[in-house]
Amino acid sequence: MNDPAVSFQGVANRYPHFNLDNINLDLPIGSIMGFIGANGAGKSTTIRILMGLVHQDRGSVRVLGHAMPEQQVAAKQDIGFVSEDMRLYGAATLGWHIEFLRQIFPRWDQPYAETLLRRFELKSEQKIKGLSHGQRVKAALLLALARRPRLLVLDEPTTGLDPVARHEVLGELMAVLADEERTILFSSHNTLDVEQISDQITFIDRGRIIDSNDKEMFLDRWRRLRLQLPPNAALPQLPGIVDIGGSGRLPVLTTNRFDPAMVSACNDMGATVQAVDTMTLEEIFVANVHSRRTQTAYEMERQEVTV
Amino acid sequence: MFPISVYTQYIDMHSDIVISQSDSRPMYLQIMEQIRQRVAVGEWAPGQEIPSIRQLAVALRVSVITVKRAYLELEREGVILTQQGKGSIVAHDPGLGQRLYDRDLKQHLEKVAQLGALLGLAPEELALRLQEATDKFWAERIVKENV
Amino acid sequence: MNYSMVKRLILKDWYLQRWPILFSLLGGALALAIVAKGGQAGFTLGIILLVTVLVTIGAMLAMNLTVLERKEQTLAFVMSLPVSYREYTAAKILGVLLIFLVPWLAFMAGSIALIWFAPEIRGLIPFIVIMGTEILANTCMIAAVGLISESQGWTITVLMIGNLALNAIGYAVAHIPSIGNGMFRPHLHWSPTATGLLATEVAIICLILAGTFFFQSRKNDFL
Repeated sequence: MNDPAVSFQGVANRYPHFNLDNINLDLPIGSIMGFIGANGAGKSTTIRILMGLVHQDRGSVRVLGHAMPEQQVAAKQDIGFVSEDMRLYGAATLGWHIEFLRQIFPRWDQPYAETLLRRFELKSEQKIKGLSHGQRVKAALLLALARRPRLLVLDEPTTGLDPVARHEVLGELMAVLADEERTILFSSHNTLDVEQISDQITFIDRGRIIDSNDKEMFLDRWRRLRLQLPPNAALPQLPGIVDIGGSGRLPVLTTNRFDPAMVSACNDMGATVQAVDTMTLEEIFVANVHSRRTQTAYEMERQEVTV
Repeated sequence: MFPISVYTQYIDMHSDIVISQSDSRPMYLQIMEQIRQRVAVGEWAPGQEIPSIRQLAVALRVSVITVKRAYLELEREGVILTQQGKGSIVAHDPGLGQRLYDRDLKQHLEKVAQLGALLGLAPEELALRLQEATDKFWAERIVKENV
Repeated sequence: MNYSMVKRLILKDWYLQRWPILFSLLGGALALAIVAKGGQAGFTLGIILLVTVLVTIGAMLAMNLTVLERKEQTLAFVMSLPVSYREYTAAKILGVLLIFLVPWLAFMAGSIALIWFAPEIRGLIPFIVIMGTEILANTCMIAAVGLISESQGWTITVLMIGNLALNAIGYAVAHIPSIGNGMFRPHLHWSPTATGLLATEVAIICLILAGTFFFQSRKNDFL
């Protein structure tokens, strides 16, 4: 029971033009994790390794207690997977897909499938090729949800959906979590969605996980401090500064280790704190990535100098 | 009787808590405020069952961890009680926190008056000092919560 | 190996390919009717049509079940189901074989029956059996390449080579004395050479199947 729903340890994968490296991840049962990363950062690869669709070069992956990819069949009995590059059979109807899956998954909930048909405004007689993009996404989600999976893995579930559809989808995702034995992992560009419903958030960039934490931790710890310095004064030394912007007299410090005591500390050091801004998840992600990339570039430069 | 428009009769009032996305305060603070208000106006009576953390999270489409935080803080303030495995209820005496603070304030103000007299401060000077302290407090508080 | 899952996937492909199969059966029936009408022209035209339809439906099945699934991005959907890569491979390669056998058996039975009742050319039957099995092997080859290479380009290349080979083999077999000499005669002569050729073809089909499983099992990326 205390085993996480998903566990990655030291997972790595080498491709000709891309390396996934040192991926460590733990997703507790009953929680929902949002995965944020730029295109090509490695989100989809990580998710495919999770599903056993790609065999990792190094490291261990356990999903719902099963080792992946060796035990992927057992794991996939309890997983619902929807990815952005996945398609259903265009020539067949939604009803045919429902019937196809109903025979495969013993826990298929037909009444729920019908409820979702109504809620998502889909018709089972419609052929998939006649559906709009948003309808296809909802159809794929319906097929994943109606099998009552213990783990939902979603790669960009709300991309391309209109605001009303997004609202419905988020509602259905949260409804899954009403059962505390069920877990969700989803990757998204839509940082607002991730910020709203995720318990935990993981940032991935250039094949590495650059940060992973409780959402509230992120939102609590990241701040932008707008200071006013007297002429010729030095910047106050504060912990966790990842970015310094603004101007000489009006610096803006971005910190990832905010503490209210910092405010008085700044004042003591002679800097007037004009404002302390909270940051949205998007701003946090961009600042995080930027600082890592600058740090990597700096380290690479230093290596060149020493060599 | 409030003037009810022609349209109100067609709108079902749902008793869910409503969160505004455009409100820049942290989500958990919004939730806390909404719950406190319901308790204050009596809509949620002392001892009454309130939605469980998960139920509220699902209803608001907000992460469980955020609701959990709101509930923890409210419990610390004495507004609600969470019983292990049995869900949450409004505290039997949710105003207790308020009354304790009130008693505290009264005692401290008496002390302030005493100290002022000892220092030989005139009442207006004392009032000025109080004003300064209040201003400083609110300046730091605003910075802390970015309201 | 979960046979019920493999069966379900094969039935799924059968359902999705039902119209092409139906049309191929109609095409085959038409071809046989043209042959039955008699005459040199009817015979030649009918045979050409028959072979064309059979080869086409074979290639179509082989491609639709393999590279098309990847191209149409439905592969991710199937692999998200509780199925292993081995079971998927089995469902595909066996699927092509079994589904193709439906029109193939119909065409073979139809042409053999037709010839049987046109006794002047019963000697053609060994040739038909050997070339029919050749088409079967060709279809399996296209499917195998489609699965393993995951590339439409390669598969079409093999398809073309296979077609050319079919013609070349047809010419060669027709010139084997024990088979070719008696082709347009009433006497059915099944020679040891014919048995040998047939056995070789069946062995090749088994080799293709085994090879498919082997190469698929060495892949690290199943998607």
